[in-house]
Amino acid sequence: MTQSYEVFLGCAIPSRFNNYESSMRAVAKELGVKLIDFDGASCCGTVVLKSIDEHSWLSMGGRNLALAEQRGHDIVTPCNGCFGSLKDTAHVLHDKKQLKAVNKVLSGLGLEYTGKVKVRHFVEVLYDLKDEIAKKIVKPLDGLKIAFHPGCHLIRPSNVAGFDDPELPNKVDELLELTGAKSVPWGLKLKCCGSPLLIASEDIATEILREKMKSAKEAGANCVVTNCPACHTQFDVQAIGLKDENDESLELPALFITQILGAAMGLDSEQIGFELNRVSLDPINDILGL
Amino acid sequence: MTESWGQFKSFEGKKFKALDPEFTAEVSKLIGGQDLTTCFQCAKCSAGCPVSDKVNIQIHEVMRMLVFGLTEVLQTDMIWLCTTCYTCQERCPQGIDITDILFGLKNMAYRKGIAPLGYVTSAKALYDTGKLYSPTEWEREDLGLDDVPELDVAETKKMLDKTKLRKLQEDM
Repeated sequence: MTQSYEVFLGCAIPSRFNNYESSMRAVAKELGVKLIDFDGASCCGTVVLKSIDEHSWLSMGGRNLALAEQRGHDIVTPCNGCFGSLKDTAHVLHDKKQLKAVNKVLSGLGLEYTGKVKVRHFVEVLYDLKDEIAKKIVKPLDGLKIAFHPGCHLIRPSNVAGFDDPELPNKVDELLELTGAKSVPWGLKLKCCGSPLLIASEDIATEILREKMKSAKEAGANCVVTNCPACHTQFDVQAIGLKDENDESLELPALFITQILGAAMGLDSEQIGFELNRVSLDPINDILGL
Repeated sequence: MTESWGQFKSFEGKKFKALDPEFTAEVSKLIGGQDLTTCFQCAKCSAGCPVSDKVNIQIHEVMRMLVFGLTEVLQTDMIWLCTTCYTCQERCPQGIDITDILFGLKNMAYRKGIAPLGYVTSAKALYDTGKLYSPTEWEREDLGLDDVPELDVAETKKMLDKTKLRKLQEDM
């Protein structure tokens, strides 16, 4: 049965990581997942607006949820931030008082949120299709040693995210290993990437990133893989030129899960968008067949 | 320039005139605040917190300040240096929604003008454009991606006028 979703891109992907969207669309097409454009989407709300004013955050998210609900579609998003924020919004709106307050705001736009719409992360959809993915691997990525970073909002709080074990997640690792790559265990795998602190203190965000990169390197990884544009900003933008105390580079090629799957499925490399990865992919060019 | 936030840096030599039970009650009414007063200071939250070694006031200390009703908590660096990773909330043996409480505290601090500048500019961007960032058109063209569907900003503005987003700091 063909699955179809309205795809909620959020703000960061179309701005900074169009290779994530492009590779997601290529993989979705190959797997027969239909992605419908999300008309009229605003920002998801994000932890930024939740920090400023929860009523505005709930209204912003509630509007997006109500739009998809009105059109009778479920939502899929490739962004941990949007996933976490929209699911958290739906979670808080289980409370009748909060729901009433938000619907009062939405009524001014001719909208109402009732709680029917489902929000999924694109990796959840992929996980359901893992048997199909396994059959489509034509270019195994043997030798790729991935430090996979799940990101916080994909798995925590687990009563809201509801996807994987919050202390020992392994579902996305399973997907990655279908390609012949190895998802290496690394000490700081579950530690936050630091990205949400870029707005308050870039120094501390960078300190956290330095700790993460050291851990990934120590584990023998030859790349980092994410499923979130906010986390990816750390690994593929902020990590450029980053060094440890001995002046050794802490850069590692940083890729999106859909780029890994797309490459192993033999999809068009232009659509996978490797050209737009900022940290050089040279150390793993041979494995990726570039 | 002195930052507006994080100015409560240490308990050393501080004298607190009165504990404010009203403040504890107010925080308990925030989203996630319902179990606040069950905190028994095991400090498991701080043990797993990614910024425990980087802040002046750690998260278990924030929790203690809340139970004691110390409004100075709004001036600690912990509330704005929370990465929102939810590890503390996930692990709290009392089931306290610690990260969610911090969001409510940030709302309170923001209204008093105690916030990193980036949040003030983000509030403006979200109001003016309905988004935090705009699409990079040349990249999308190169990859053959269609335009991002349009957003009618008048709609989000109307909504954020109702929630008074641009007037939160009015009483400062």
